[in-house]
Formats: sequence, structure tokens, C-alpha cells
Amino acid sequence: MKILVVDKNKCTGCHQCELWCGTEIASVSKELYQAIREEPHPIPRVYVEGKDFALQCRHCEEAPCIEACPNGTMRRDPETGLVYVNEPTCIACWMCVMVCPFGIINPSASMKVAIKCDRCRHMGYPICAEVCPTQAIKLEERKDYRTKAF
Amino acid sequence: MRYVIIGGSAAAISAIEAIRSIDRESQIELFSDEATPLFSRVLLPYYIAEELSKPLLNFRSSDFFEQNKITSHLGVRIKEISSESNTVTAENGEAYPFDKLLLATGGNPIIPPIQGIQKEGISTLKTMADAEKIYQWKGKRAVVIGAGSVGVESCISLRKRGMEVTLLEQLGHVLPTVFDEEAASMIQKRIEDLGIKTVTGEKAIQFSGNGHVESVVTESREIKCEMVVLAVGVKPAIELAKKVGIEIGSLEGIKVNAEMMTNVQDIYSAGDVAETFDITRESSWINAIWPCAVEQGRVAGLNMAGKKTLYIGSFRRNSIGNFIGVPAISMGLTRAETCSTCEAGESFQEIKRRTKDAYKKLIIKKGRLAGVILVGQTQKAGLYQILLKKQIDVSEYIPVLMSRNLNFMDILPLIRRNADRFTETEYKEIMDTGL
Ligand SMILES: Cc1cc2nc3c(=O)[nH]c(=O)nc-3n(C[C@H](O)[C@H](O)[C@H](O)COP(=O)(O)OP(=O)(O)OC[C@H]3O[C@@H](n4cnc5c(N)ncnc54)[C@H](O)[C@@H]3O)c2cc1C
Ligand code: SF4
Ligand code: SF4
Repeated sequence: MKILVVDKNKCTGCHQCELWCGTEIASVSKELYQAIREEPHPIPRVYVEGKDFALQCRHCEEAPCIEACPNGTMRRDPETGLVYVNEPTCIACWMCVMVCPFGIINPSASMKVAIKCDRCRHMGYPICAEVCPTQAIKLEERKDYRTKAF
Repeated sequence: MRYVIIGGSAAAISAIEAIRSIDRESQIELFSDEATPLFSRVLLPYYIAEELSKPLLNFRSSDFFEQNKITSHLGVRIKEISSESNTVTAENGEAYPFDKLLLATGGNPIIPPIQGIQKEGISTLKTMADAEKIYQWKGKRAVVIGAGSVGVESCISLRKRGMEVTLLEQLGHVLPTVFDEEAASMIQKRIEDLGIKTVTGEKAIQFSGNGHVESVVTESREIKCEMVVLAVGVKPAIELAKKVGIEIGSLEGIKVNAEMMTNVQDIYSAGDVAETFDITRESSWINAIWPCAVEQGRVAGLNMAGKKTLYIGSFRRNSIGNFIGVPAISMGLTRAETCSTCEAGESFQEIKRRTKDAYKKLIIKKGRLAGVILVGQTQKAGLYQILLKKQIDVSEYIPVLMSRNLNFMDILPLIRRNADRFTETEYKEIMDTGL
């Protein structure tokens, strides 16, 4: 399965990924100049953490969020393996938020749904990787790390 | 291989998914004495509140049994297990053979011995039938006894239907086993703002009325009502297990090992009925919550299908979401002093921060997180959860963990240092961040 890998050395903390995720994915208008004024405010699914590190859902193989969700709203797309929120059935109980080890689910008080990255599953290519000016975010095949000494 | 599953809820369905991830073909028979399949109990208060209609209570699609080639026996109660002939016997006398058996029988609501408890208009809330009954009740005034999660959600659901509701709790504050006093007071305020009357530190001693309940009597008052919801907890449904000689733990749950197997070969157990090792208490405990039932069901299912998997242990986790209206999450122990199972003299530390709308408390034991309470700001709750679950030494990271800006990057060095505590898959997922 392909996942989004971030190269910390290349991430400059410019927040382009947040900006465009918020516009393309989260906003109603899909126009940047309108999106930034929308209420409720569009919520990007990628976070620039600390000064310079972009992080989004890891689409865990053993996903704790799916196990915690009491009504099957958090689910895995059997074809792609991507983990997504079936927003219409979300009851905003935040059980998934409680267990995501990366802290990347946003319990949106205004939208009353759990908001997280679905790796743009309905688009050809993830927007964050597309807009990153240094190509710090890349779509790559999952690797085996244990074999490597660390 | 013939699998038999008793129970049709969180633990059972999770076990089926785990078995089917390995074994697509073998026969799986599921028995549930509840006629409605695949609904989530957690959503029953939403049903009573008229926020969700029946079809939306399902946690798996209605063709789940077909899709997974399950022979389901719904509305069928198993009355006996034989470990000699490896069969289970249904109430109608029919026997079914098994090679691997899962007991996911959950818990039965506790009926407290209060005078007049048999009166009409008094119910627990556990099954779909209970929810339907409560939904149909006519009347204007309700009393909910017990202010645990189920009690609080029940009273809110009735309030949302416009009833006058009193929440009665014998201990000092609402959600006594979920939050400490400080956090509970914030939530209690919200409950009261919704127009619910809360009475704490008082016990119901009698129900009065002629046939139908008319009031709840405590030591110091009488509360008039037409209906009562009893929410004083659940106890494991161990009748079947007991009869066949399965070992029962000191807390009256089914004792299981790390593979979720009972002391009887090939008989497994998971969910609210099972007594497992509690990471934060360092002793056997029953954590009757949805996420634990699913995790345990998965581990049981994998082992039943022959893939050896060890359960890391359970711990309490509760989240209060939009239904109550204050974001609050609590996990593990709630107070340093209430860990009765911890040895005397063990060093406990409580670190708190309270602002107007937010509260954060960490309970540290031997340098590790033993409990976390977050009210208001909860998005990063999962970071604490993973550190607690893996019992990672956080003693040098307290200021970081108390910071308002905590993020995954901050705890990554800790995770790396403890990489051996993560499974292969988990480790991969962490490394995939690219850091
Ligand atoms: C109203 C309510 C709200 C809740 N809210 C939350 C929440 O917000 N968060 C949370 O984490 N948890 C919550 N819980 C708890 C959660 O629902 C349970 O932890 C979970 O359902 C446990 O699943 P289980 O599979 O272990 O057992 P159960 O759900 O108890 O299911 C066991 C099933 O086995 C059946 N059974 C038992 N004996 C037999 C037999 N001999 N033959 C055939 N069938 C049998 C039972 O009838 C039952 O259907 C709530 C529970 C209730 C009742
Ligand atoms: S939301 Fe969190 S737990 Fe769920 S798949 Fe994504 S990273 Fe994993
Ligand atoms: S907030 Fe939504 S997605 Fe998350 S656990 Fe609750 S219902 Fe599932």
C-alpha cells in the first residue's frame, strides 16, 4: 500500500499543504479567497507540527480508530485500504480521537464530525503532495524498517 | 474447523472479522439471544433521544452475516456448554459441535435490591428491547439512578425528549469512576444547564406507587416520577461459564490469559464478560467498554484461527462527545489515591492545570502514565493514550505533556527510544511518518 511520507529536511514549514487541503478538500467554495472567510472555518486534514513537519493520517494497518468507533463510521475502504470517516453517520463521540496515536483526528465542534485525512481517496492524487513546493510530501510504497538498524 | 460464537455484539463481531481475515471458509455459527442483530448499544441513548432512527444504530451493514458466511442464530439462547463433547446446547435442546468456542456474553445490568424495584415504569438500559420500552414510556417526570456514563446519557436522552429529569447518584459527584471531582464538576454544570436536576451523595431506598412507580424515596427526600432508569452498572454474564467449570476471577468475570483463552482448552472469552490484565492497575480487572471489547475480540479471533497473538492488556477509556456537549476524555485511573490494588508506598504524582474552560490532569506512577483526564482540549488525547498503553517512561517529558501545543513530534523521541514495545505494524506506521 502507498502512504504519504514526509521528508523533514525538505519541509520548510510553509503551510502550503494546510492551505490547499483546507481549500480543495474542506471548503465549500473551493476558492482560496472565499475559503479563508467561510464559516464554519474549513479544517485542513494535514497539520504542520512543530515548526516544520507535515503530518496526516497514517492509514494504520491495525487502526485503533476503527476499533474504538462504536458505530462503524470509521472504516476501511476494502479496495484501497484507506481509512475514512463516513461523515453522515458520525455521532461526534470522539472515541476515535481518544485512541489515534498520531493525534490527527480533529473533533470538530462546529461540524460535529470527526475530521481526518482520507488521502484524497476520490481524487487522483493527494493534494498536499501535489502542492508541496519542495516535494517534502511524497506518495511512496510502505517500507520495512525493522530490518534497518536504528 | 468449526467455530461457535456466543454473543452477537462488539466482541463477537470483532472476533468474526479477525477469524475471517485468516480463515475465509470454515463454518462459523453465532448465537445471540437478542433478536436484533448488529446494533451498537452505545447508540441506544441516541435512539431514545430521537437523534438516530433504528437503521442507524447498526455498527456493521445488515448483510454482514452473509458477507462473512456466518450462520446466525438470532433470538436463540445457549443454555449449556459441554467441554467433553465440545458442544453447545440451545434452549430448544439442539446441540451444536465446536472446535473453538468464544464466550462473548457481555454483562447483565445490575438490579439493586431496593424495595419496590419490581414496579412498572422501572427499567435498566442494556438491550434494544429496553430502549424501545423506555422510548414508549408515557409520562413527564423521570429519575435516573446512577450517574455513570450510561446513567448520564440516559438522563440526557430523556431530557432531549422534553421530560423533567432527576439524576440521582449515591457517590459524591457525577461520573464517579470516569472523572475526578474537578472534571466532573465541569460536566455536571453542563448537565444542569440542560435543565437536569442532579442529586449526589444520596441513595435511593424505596420506590413507591401502586403497581406503577410514583416516586423514588431517598434518605432525605421523595422525588415524584412516572419512570425510572436504573444505571448502576453491569456484571459479567458468567452463568454458562460457571456451569462448565471455567475459572472465574475475583471480580466475577471470566479469567483469560493473554491469548484470551480460558482455563479450558479451545474456549475463549472477550468483552464485558472477560477479566483481563489492566495495564494501569497492574492487576486483573473488567473494563466494560466498547474499545476493549473490540480489541479483545480481535485477539481472541486471531488466536482461535491459529495466529498466535498476545493481548497487551486493557485499560479504561471514556470519551464524552457531542451528546453531552462538553468534550472530555478520561483514561486509566482517575485519582492517585483510589488505586486500591497498588502497593502502598508506590510513588504517585498528580499534575493538573485548570483554566476557565479546560482542565488537564496526568497521573504518573513510577514515571509512567497511569491516568489522564482532559476536558475542553482533547484533540491530542491519543498521544497520551499511546504513551499510557505502552507504559513508556515519561518522567522527563512532563512539561511537554502539559504543554498546550503538544504534538506528535514532541513524543516521537520517546517512542523511538521504546521501539521494542511496538508491534511490527505499529512500528512501521510510526516510521512511515518519515521522521
Ligand atoms: C446504554 C449504553 C451506553 C454505552 N455507552 C458506551 C460508550 O459511550 N462507550 C463505551 O466504550 N462503551 C459504552 N457502553 C458499553 C458497551 O456497549 C459495551 O462495552 C459493549 O457492548 C460490550 O460488548 P460485548 O460484545 O462484550 O457484550 P454485549 O454488548 O453485552 O453483548 C453480549 C451479547 O451476548 C448475548 N448473550 C449473553 N448470554 C447469551 C447466551 N447464553 N446465549 C446467547 N446469547 C447470549 C447478550 O444478550 C448480548 O446480546 C454502553 C453500554 C450501554 C448499555
Ligand atoms: S486516524 Fe489515526 S489511528 Fe486512524 S488510521 Fe489514521 S493515523 Fe491511524
Ligand atoms: S467521532 Fe465519529 S468516527 Fe469518531 S468514533 Fe465517534 S462516530 Fe466514530
